[in-house]
Amino acid sequence: MPTREEWAVVLFTLRVAALGTAMILPFGVAAAALLARRHGPGRTLLDTLFSLPLVLPPTAVGVVLLDAFARVSPLGRALAAAGIQIAFDWKGVVIATSVMSFPLLVRSALTAFEEVDPRLVGLARTLGCGPMQAFFRVTLPLAWRGVLAGTVLAFARALGEFGATVMLAGNIPGRTQTLALAIFHEAQLGHDDRARVLAGVTAVLAFAALWSAEIVGRARARRTA
Amino acid sequence: MIRLDFETPLARFPLRIEADLRAPVTAVMGPSGAGKTSLLDAIAGLRSVASGRIAIDDDVLVDTAAGRRLPPQHRRVGYVPQDAGLFPHLTVRENVLFGARGASNEVGHAIDVLEIGSLGARYPASLSGGEKQRVALARALATRPRLLLLDEPLAALDVSLRDRIVPYLLRVRDEWATPMLYVTHNVGEALALAGEVLLLESGRVEAQGAPLALLATPGLSREARAGIENLLAGEIESHDAEGGVTRVRLAGGLVVSVSIAAERPVGSAVTVAIRAEDVLVATEPVRGLSARNVYEAVVRGIERGPGDAAVRCAIRPELPEWLARLTPAAVADLGLATGSRVWLAVKSHSVRVTSAPPARAGRGADVGTGGS
Repeated sequence: MPTREEWAVVLFTLRVAALGTAMILPFGVAAAALLARRHGPGRTLLDTLFSLPLVLPPTAVGVVLLDAFARVSPLGRALAAAGIQIAFDWKGVVIATSVMSFPLLVRSALTAFEEVDPRLVGLARTLGCGPMQAFFRVTLPLAWRGVLAGTVLAFARALGEFGATVMLAGNIPGRTQTLALAIFHEAQLGHDDRARVLAGVTAVLAFAALWSAEIVGRARARRTA
Repeated sequence: MIRLDFETPLARFPLRIEADLRAPVTAVMGPSGAGKTSLLDAIAGLRSVASGRIAIDDDVLVDTAAGRRLPPQHRRVGYVPQDAGLFPHLTVRENVLFGARGASNEVGHAIDVLEIGSLGARYPASLSGGEKQRVALARALATRPRLLLLDEPLAALDVSLRDRIVPYLLRVRDEWATPMLYVTHNVGEALALAGEVLLLESGRVEAQGAPLALLATPGLSREARAGIENLLAGEIESHDAEGGVTRVRLAGGLVVSVSIAAERPVGSAVTVAIRAEDVLVATEPVRGLSARNVYEAVVRGIERGPGDAAVRCAIRPELPEWLARLTPAAVADLGLATGSRVWLAVKSHSVRVTSAPPARAGRGADVGTGGS
């Protein structure tokens, strides 16, 4: 069983993953919705750009983020002036996991939006809806399952993010240490049994998230089938 | 009146439409890919217009010269697509109320007329094709549109189901008096509903005129010519169970014998349908023929198309004309011409009886060969 300190790490990991997922949800849905309606080279470019974190080494993304939020960068200086520190802080964990899980949300939501029949959206327009209303009353409810699946994937990815997090936020026990970092930490110290316990907890959390999303999605599908 | 004068590019040719539509119902016909659906989309605002003007009476929907392009939600144009286009995540009731405006009793009226009240809690996936179309029609009517666009609403249905939906469309036409543009490949539907036909070909108006005149239009396919029906309003006069016939008195006093339809009470209003190819034409009084219905008539005109001819016949001057479809050879052999005296014969079994639309303002009477 996990110790008290380890439970604290679990709770911290869940918090930053949930916060990060909530943060990227509106942006990810908006990006997917905009991409779904566009075709041509501009779309391919954006699509590729959004997907980059999927294929880059996470540590490379971490380096870019560290540069962006360092105290010497314009962004870092502006944030520091406002009293906000990102690097080597829990906020850095949120930023790093968000950036890494963003493409999973966008890709999944994009596929779901593209499957919505554009004629249905057009009909909603003739029935009095503006573009935003048509999106919230027709497109989103019809793509709901794909958006949920993407959200859960993003959340699960955030739970397990390592490379970008360690670069931007470091591995500070009690401050920026997530499950993934703690597993690495324990293994480095030769505490293989502790590493195994934490790995087990991570697996259970990820499984629970994916499974509950599947169940909710199926219940919804039955109702409208 | 609907004034169309606009141009917009399609994949293979530009859609260039210039027409004034005055009839309550205009049938839009023409070969597949002629631009019929694109025309409806342009009017609804779902396809942008490159240049020109679209107006319903005094309401200008599009006027590119004045920089005016009303977004779809402000056009108040109802759209019923071929597949009904119901929102699958909403119940029938939620679909109908989706864009409802105005008093709720008007929505209730649409639900009553289209007989979908009992479907309210169901989802579209569980509805039959005919039910879906009626729900889609109610949904469009609930927005109190200034114009209804119907894109082959019956094409996905089988023939017997079509016969049951047409009366609902006639009811909508007569109860709401909302002008309609009705895309169809079926001349029978066009004759039953429309006062005017707009025939499109490669994005242009090939012909515009009364439905009957269409028969002379070369662009019309053979398939389209089939299925032309005489639709006549009447009421059940009597049943003869032993003889196996029911007598229907048509508006104007003409009596037609049909296969027994005892389930319809005496006095109930019906529409009888007789396919134009089931009308036999003789140049002498007919005797010793099994056909129960024989009427003397005068040829009013002959519309010739490739491979066939439609003979317009007047049984009585005050009644709608009947159409008989013959081969050009038969027309020549009989020596038919405008003014010829003929006898028309129809078997009881060739006459179908369907429920009539409510004959409001006496318009039910000229359902059949409307337009003229």
